[in-house]
Amino acid sequence: MIYDCAVVGSGLAGLCAALRLVEGGMRVSVVAKGTGSLHLGGATIDVMGYGPDPITSPRAALALLENDRPDHPYSRAGAEVVAEALTWFTGLSEDMVGDLRENMLLPTPVGAGKPTAVAPRSIASGDLRRGGSMVICGFRALKDLYPTYLAENLAKGAFGTEIDARAVTLDATPEGRVDANGLGFARAFESADFRTELVRQLGSRLNGVERVGFPAVLGLDRADEVRAELSAALEHEVFEIPTLPPSVPGIRLFRTLKRALGRLGCRITMGATVVGATTEAARVNDLHLDIVNRVARMSARHFVLATGGVATGGIGMDSYNRLSEPVVGLPVSFIPRSADHLFDPTYLASHPVGTAGVAVDPEMRAIDRSGEPLYDNLRVVGATVGGAEPWREKSGNGIAVATGFAAAKAILQSEGAWN
Amino acid sequence: METEVLVIGGGATGVGVLRDAAMRGFSSLLVERSDLAMGTTGRFHGLLHSGGRYVVKDPNAAKECIGENIVLRRIAADCIEDTGGLFVSLAGDDPDYPDRFVEGCHESGIPVEEISRSEALRREPRLNPKLESAFLVPDAAMDSWKTVWAGVRSASDHGGRALPYHKVESLVVDNGRVVGAVAQDVRSGEEVRIDAAFVLNAAGAWAAQVAEMAGAEGLAVRPGRGIMIAMNHRLVNTVINRCIMPSDGDILVPIRTVCVIGTTDEEVADPDDNEIPRDEVQQMLDAGEELVPGFREARPLRVWAGVRPLFQDARADITSTRDVTRAHAIVDHRERDGLGRFLTITGGKFTSFRLMAEDIVDAMCDQMEEIRPCRTAEEPLPDSEGGDYYWVGSRLQARDASLGEDQIICECEMVTRAPLEEALERRNTTNLDDIRRTLRLGMGPCQGGFCIYRATGILHESQKLDASTANGSLRSFLQERWKGVHPILYGDQFRQARFDEWVFQGLLDVEHLPL
Repeated sequence: MIYDCAVVGSGLAGLCAALRLVEGGMRVSVVAKGTGSLHLGGATIDVMGYGPDPITSPRAALALLENDRPDHPYSRAGAEVVAEALTWFTGLSEDMVGDLRENMLLPTPVGAGKPTAVAPRSIASGDLRRGGSMVICGFRALKDLYPTYLAENLAKGAFGTEIDARAVTLDATPEGRVDANGLGFARAFESADFRTELVRQLGSRLNGVERVGFPAVLGLDRADEVRAELSAALEHEVFEIPTLPPSVPGIRLFRTLKRALGRLGCRITMGATVVGATTEAARVNDLHLDIVNRVARMSARHFVLATGGVATGGIGMDSYNRLSEPVVGLPVSFIPRSADHLFDPTYLASHPVGTAGVAVDPEMRAIDRSGEPLYDNLRVVGATVGGAEPWREKSGNGIAVATGFAAAKAILQSEGAWN
Repeated sequence: METEVLVIGGGATGVGVLRDAAMRGFSSLLVERSDLAMGTTGRFHGLLHSGGRYVVKDPNAAKECIGENIVLRRIAADCIEDTGGLFVSLAGDDPDYPDRFVEGCHESGIPVEEISRSEALRREPRLNPKLESAFLVPDAAMDSWKTVWAGVRSASDHGGRALPYHKVESLVVDNGRVVGAVAQDVRSGEEVRIDAAFVLNAAGAWAAQVAEMAGAEGLAVRPGRGIMIAMNHRLVNTVINRCIMPSDGDILVPIRTVCVIGTTDEEVADPDDNEIPRDEVQQMLDAGEELVPGFREARPLRVWAGVRPLFQDARADITSTRDVTRAHAIVDHRERDGLGRFLTITGGKFTSFRLMAEDIVDAMCDQMEEIRPCRTAEEPLPDSEGGDYYWVGSRLQARDASLGEDQIICECEMVTRAPLEEALERRNTTNLDDIRRTLRLGMGPCQGGFCIYRATGILHESQKLDASTANGSLRSFLQERWKGVHPILYGDQFRQARFDEWVFQGLLDVEHLPL
């Protein structure tokens, strides 16, 4: 079967592109090496948090960015398309709240307040701008969240309003284990017995109108139900705070997107590593997939490369400090001129190599130095696209949604299927 | 504070001197400007020399090495992995050197056994197949941190005491004698006056700076900087030496879960010069590629620079109780500078730290006209009494025995919560880098990517810290780590570093925490 489009990568960018394409009626196949970065990174859609000063309105920041940094992926997609993408994404699920007008400030595992445009309701309920009293609950057996440290930082932080935060550490743990990760807890929370025990341990220790913050482990497939029941049993508003990976909310979002794709007939093939491509003039003809050491070819009329940035292997650097895009061999741009200054000696500073990635045109096609598209039918999305500093800006998932959507839109438009 | 013997410098030598003096019944105190083993001792490749490296170039040093190799295997087995060492000659290397090497080994009393090419490749399959000849010698890997900590424990059993983070500001000279020092507790800012009957300068590459405080000018200790790179895997399980005249990048040491390639030699003006030049990194990778083809495809974890103290002082009347070698030197400042009760030891190498300590304490006893024999070669260090070497699986074995009873905080190095809390308490520090060196926390492939957040939370909770102090500890660990990783970021380690950035900045937003 020749697909209309093959998407490489099952992170947020690849899944968004695939979903928007199947919504437009295209036959799409997603191939991925692993489960994708949502399992690691989490489910909050940070669009633009710092520039480098804290950003209150992402919409205003995007408008400025178009002038100041025309090479930024948002500027390439265009502020209007970014807004359209976020509206589309938020509309996918009733669970997503927030928009581009104003950033929320959401507690991180250390108790900073991260500026975030869109987030799952359970995390958004921890918005620090609301002020007031919070109790942060941790578990002795969960080493990926420290409630005392977190609460003290929240109480010290400058979020516009006073936060009164305290911590409670609970002994409840799945099957009596001393060392359980977020997924272990998430599965345990789906059991009524575990929740009953938790309410027994915690209930009497709550007072007044505190919001109750838990590590983001409140259930996996039945998370809504788990949180609703806990809120009711505790008679307090319950919210979630992301933990170190594995990211339970990220896995929930992955499953939501995967189900939506499945309903429209699109499957994700895991364990398939794209090791190369056949190209002819300005077109990509097929991809070479390594599936358990058997090489297969996959043809399609369009291709979307969503293999991620350096962290997920979408961009590589060898021991001679040569950067490359390993699947198609696309040129890597935004590289510092001197290999002696790839990194700043200060860790938290901006690193010259930090923006490295593939340069794209407004249709998300990879371009050469003169700005001409290299392949008419190949789009590049997500962290593979250069020109941004996602972790410093807090823009990673925002770029994934915006570029994934922009690529899908361009493909559908080229097929006359955009409506 | 008052002590009979004041030792300046908390490297292997200084700690060795503290232990030696304490065992001879002197009340002894050691001051170190930063943490113990922070200078040259904590910045070498971990090779316990057989002496093979020096048999042609410096036979005296070779004899010293094999003598101490035997002693340390006896007294410090728990700090040693008995990897054995191979000297390999590759196609193109000086064809006459192996014969001179074997002859030198015989003359220096170093056991040496030639093994066939196929035997060498069977033992170390990743070795360059173009090897021409291979010789087995009793090299080993030695954990310098563990050695120093065991030395301090032994010294304290004999009443000796080490004060890390005490920087000597001045030496007190009275009537032609050094009678003590003024040190600053760098953590509290407090000044401490220490009166001492004798001052022993064991500051290694920093010895000239210390001597100058007593007015002994111009001690010619030349810092020779060398870089080393730790690779993520034990590409070899035997110490590999190139069988050539000692050169750069010709040693590969398997230690703990990694292997370390070293080293370069660049004379620098300042012993605190820790620069990692890019061309030296490339030089080490090329050298590694020659020993183990494919070396560049392996994953580098960390790079660091250490400075050797090379002693070349024309004015000093070098005294030693045994044959004078160029390996290490004791400077008697009575003769050199008219300063009594003050000796400097410098030069030397990690393998000979115990002997250096013995020599300087002997020299001190001579000057004091006391006869107190050295016992450090006989009494084992704590945990080495049984004479068992550690091996690469020791930690896994220990962890496996208590599986399910404690949380693993650092998965890479299998550090669990109880020892972490114990170390935080014992070391009374907010510096997570001190804990890294104590427990190897954060030394694995992710370089603290997961465990340092956890360690910060535990530090905050167990030591009842202010959150701002804990935030500072977290951020300074990240900065310290960065120094050792950014010059070698490529391949999978670049990928790891970007992922860590994603966690610390993208997920935690550590850069916006209140300090």
